[in-house]
Amino acid sequence: MNAIEVRDVTRRFGDFTAVDSATFEVRRGEIFGFLGPNGAGKTTTIRMLSGLLRPTSGSVLVAGHDVARDAAVVRARIGYMSQSFSLYADLTVDENIELFGGLYGVEPARLRERRDWVLSMAGLHGRERSAAGELPLGFKQRLALGCAVLHEPPILFLDEPTSGVDPIARRGFWDLIHALAGGGTTVLVSTHYMEEAEYCHRLILMNRGRIIAEGTPSALRAAMTEPILRITTDDAPLAVEALAGTPGVLDAAMFGRALHVVTEPSADAGALAAVLTRSGREVYDVSPVEPTLEDVFVSLVRREGGAVVG
Amino acid sequence: MLSVRRMAAVARKEWVQLRRDPRSMVLAFALPPFLLLFFGYAISWDIRDLRLAVVDQDNTTQSRGLVEAFETSGYFSVAERPAATADVDELLVQARVIGALIIPPGFATDLLAGRDAPVQLLLDGGDANTATIALNYASAIAVDYSRETVLHGRRVAAPLVPEARVWYNPTLESSNMIVPGLIAVIMSIIAAMLTALTIAREWERGTMEQLAATPVHRLEIVFGKLLPYLAIGLFDVAVTAAAGVVVFAVPLRGSIVLLGAMTLLFLLGALGLGMFISAVLRSQVLATQVAMVATYLPALLLSGFLFDIASMPVVLRAITYVIPAKYYIAVTRGVFLKGVGLEALWVQGLSMVLFAALGIGLATAAFHKRIAD
Amino acid sequence: MPLVSLRRVRTLVRKEMRQILRDPKTKRVIFASPILQLLLFGYAVTTDVRDVATFVVDHDRTAESRALQDALTAGDWFRIAGTSDRPADLAAALDRGTAAIGLEIPRGFARDLAAGRGAAVQVLVDGTSSNTATVAQGYATRIIQEFGIAYAESQGAIVEGGVDLRARAWFNPDLESRPYNVPAIIGILLMLMALLLTALAVVRERELGTLDQLLVSPLTAGELMLGKTIPVAIIALIDLALICIVAILWFGIPLRGSIIALVVASFVYILASLGFGLFISTVSKTQQEAFMSMFLLFLPAVVLSGFMYPVDTMPDVFQTLTLLNPVRHFLVIVRGIFLKGYGFGDIWVQLGIITVMAGGVLAGAAARFRKSVG
Repeated sequence: MNAIEVRDVTRRFGDFTAVDSATFEVRRGEIFGFLGPNGAGKTTTIRMLSGLLRPTSGSVLVAGHDVARDAAVVRARIGYMSQSFSLYADLTVDENIELFGGLYGVEPARLRERRDWVLSMAGLHGRERSAAGELPLGFKQRLALGCAVLHEPPILFLDEPTSGVDPIARRGFWDLIHALAGGGTTVLVSTHYMEEAEYCHRLILMNRGRIIAEGTPSALRAAMTEPILRITTDDAPLAVEALAGTPGVLDAAMFGRALHVVTEPSADAGALAAVLTRSGREVYDVSPVEPTLEDVFVSLVRREGGAVVG
Repeated sequence: MLSVRRMAAVARKEWVQLRRDPRSMVLAFALPPFLLLFFGYAISWDIRDLRLAVVDQDNTTQSRGLVEAFETSGYFSVAERPAATADVDELLVQARVIGALIIPPGFATDLLAGRDAPVQLLLDGGDANTATIALNYASAIAVDYSRETVLHGRRVAAPLVPEARVWYNPTLESSNMIVPGLIAVIMSIIAAMLTALTIAREWERGTMEQLAATPVHRLEIVFGKLLPYLAIGLFDVAVTAAAGVVVFAVPLRGSIVLLGAMTLLFLLGALGLGMFISAVLRSQVLATQVAMVATYLPALLLSGFLFDIASMPVVLRAITYVIPAKYYIAVTRGVFLKGVGLEALWVQGLSMVLFAALGIGLATAAFHKRIAD
Repeated sequence: MPLVSLRRVRTLVRKEMRQILRDPKTKRVIFASPILQLLLFGYAVTTDVRDVATFVVDHDRTAESRALQDALTAGDWFRIAGTSDRPADLAAALDRGTAAIGLEIPRGFARDLAAGRGAAVQVLVDGTSSNTATVAQGYATRIIQEFGIAYAESQGAIVEGGVDLRARAWFNPDLESRPYNVPAIIGILLMLMALLLTALAVVRERELGTLDQLLVSPLTAGELMLGKTIPVAIIALIDLALICIVAILWFGIPLRGSIIALVVASFVYILASLGFGLFISTVSKTQQEAFMSMFLLFLPAVVLSGFMYPVDTMPDVFQTLTLLNPVRHFLVIVRGIFLKGYGFGDIWVQLGIITVMAGGVLAGAAARFRKSVG
């Protein structure tokens, strides 16, 4: 049985459709990512999965139970951490742990062990009596994660858990997520950092409330049919200008000091180099490169003729 | 140099934002008439038809006449006629009557013999105000009844007649007292709440710093922000005053120009104070709460609006001297009911000028300090 | 709906208590401000008429006219704020508001009085403050009449007697307004406390995002309501004790009735008040909105309670409206218990009404809350 099954879920706010007939499932023990720009519908979806928001239509099964019908059963089996730091800032580290332990009914003896685990995981030994609000952001987020998994839930929802954290802390946080998944926890995580999506076992790409692709990171990259060429020239900005509107070129953008050019499959690399030379550029190198997930995302949106929100 | 154009730009922006915020609009335009109608109709000190229990153990023409005198006065109505004096206790305890008139046997005999004829009046002293008024009415009724009945036919005039005349409000209408005072209370609420709502929000969101980064002088910002609220306040006063005159028939005897000028000064002070509070606290919730405590409560309690200042203990009386609403209420009552001008209100006028200067000064200073920090 | 978990409720109550008691500002609001407000209201809210500023124009200047002035100022109702021999000064004093009442004694006053011709004096009252005017006018009329009768009797002119009205005020023989107002202030402050502590309770957590964290836990709506109400109820009961002590010891208000009835009635009333607060909190989107709604609820509740303005003199529509107001019913209870020695037997109607209101509004808040999730 899958950990999460989402069937045809739609959520409207007035005239606005935040999530449009989403269907997907998450297998047990996998790290499942939601990737998309701000406003794509990731948070709305996670709120529906965790029972904070009722879908306008469609059904959500979490741990085999209907979220709308068996809310109480589902709540005991999930952990949730939202994008804003949502522990009690005026309570101490210990008091927050005690609160959530009590709410989730963790037995006192077990709670003592879990508390130690949280303190060492978050590096908060010796700061048990500090007000949670006074901790640096990275610590806050680890504490929030700790509080969300005090009761060792089989399923964990993380809504942009790393937003606002520096890249090094973000790496550390992902190590934690992998450790949890290694222990058998199903993790559903949303992010708008494209590079973070690479850490997921499987993921869906969302834009404007719709799921536009689903698969493993490598499968998604492989599905990208348009080749990408990396071109180095003497002047990248002028080269971008020169390539705009050239037949066969779908997109040309600066990538560091080089150019990444998305072309139609039929396009010829030599012809592009010729266009550049004709416009007075000196072309040093043209070589095909592997697409990033960002390339995949942009390409998918372009294929739909739509625009990226965010 | 202060630039009118920049000030107008700030004012226009303020007005546009205000117009888009339904809550502020309700506060600015719906609350004042609502409060006026609500207070105007709900509050009344006009004491009529006080429920009275009567135990007439004499049951003579004279005793019935006394009861009738109570009834025809309009101040009392006989609600209960218990058989025994002992039943009166229960009626008073249960508050079914406000008082009980007990006429003992032999009342008529004493009266006709020219002796003092004792009559007992028991009052529920709980509500001291109503009881006091009832007692005064009852005394007057008893005196009149004595004179008309007992001295009837004899050539003895009352030894001393107080000829009471009530000035400014001869029928002692409560609404005449409520409406002018209420204008001050409403202005206090509007000034405090609106500024806390909109200006504290601007601090909260940091857009105030944005404004300060432009070449706009801080006085221009203060005045620019004040202007729309000033306009709203003046409009509210006009509407409230008109409603008072039309709906509650409150006379407007004095100069409208004087009232307008004083209102302008009072509003400047009150709005300035609201801006000051907003700038210092920088939080909508806190600013609203503090503004309520600093302006609305004193306007209600310590301004003489409802409660007589002379009856307060000396500490509170001293505090009332720094409550601007106290002076403003003297102005509204003076202009509406007394029809007096500056010759009687110059003290109030002076304090309004002081208050306005203080409000603007505080607002500008707080603004300056906040930006400098 | 699963059964209420005591452990979860206890955990939540402990958390609420910690948050409330940790913040010194909140602590001041809870424990110091009710006492300060009781003192302020206790002194400021007075319908007593005392020390009325009186302006005297004495054209007679005789021993009798001075005796009349002395009689007028003998009690603490009137004080002389100014004298003059020109009536214009009296008019100016009333205009300026430096005097609220004027006494004009005409030339020949003593002569008329002695001759038994029925002397007359003029009492001018500033009617801009109706209540003060009514009461002051009543006192002045009585004092002057009594002065006349006493004078006539001293001259042996009147011996006929007449109706001798012997008035006695029960429950409050000196007819002071304070014993009536202070118990009412207790009622007002209890509601204010309960509203302040609950109206922002849920919406603050909504704004901070912590509400979601609670909602994804197994905590039920009922448990959350309990966790939010129990601490406030406890604090409000402590406040009740504090302000009752101040009322009794400082203001000397007698507590004649049943203390148990007072505590029980207060508890039910507190539940009703915090029910309203929670309801506001669940329907509001921001703290600001909650505060405004609270103000707009509290203001009419006070006006229509009989606290500062008697219910009996309101128009019928408003009198009917007051029946929906828990404050009005509680004031009957609290005033009755303090002044009239009420016990359960005297308050069961009001107590019943408040109980029904408390149940209704708490259920409404819980339902509203459950609905607002999702």
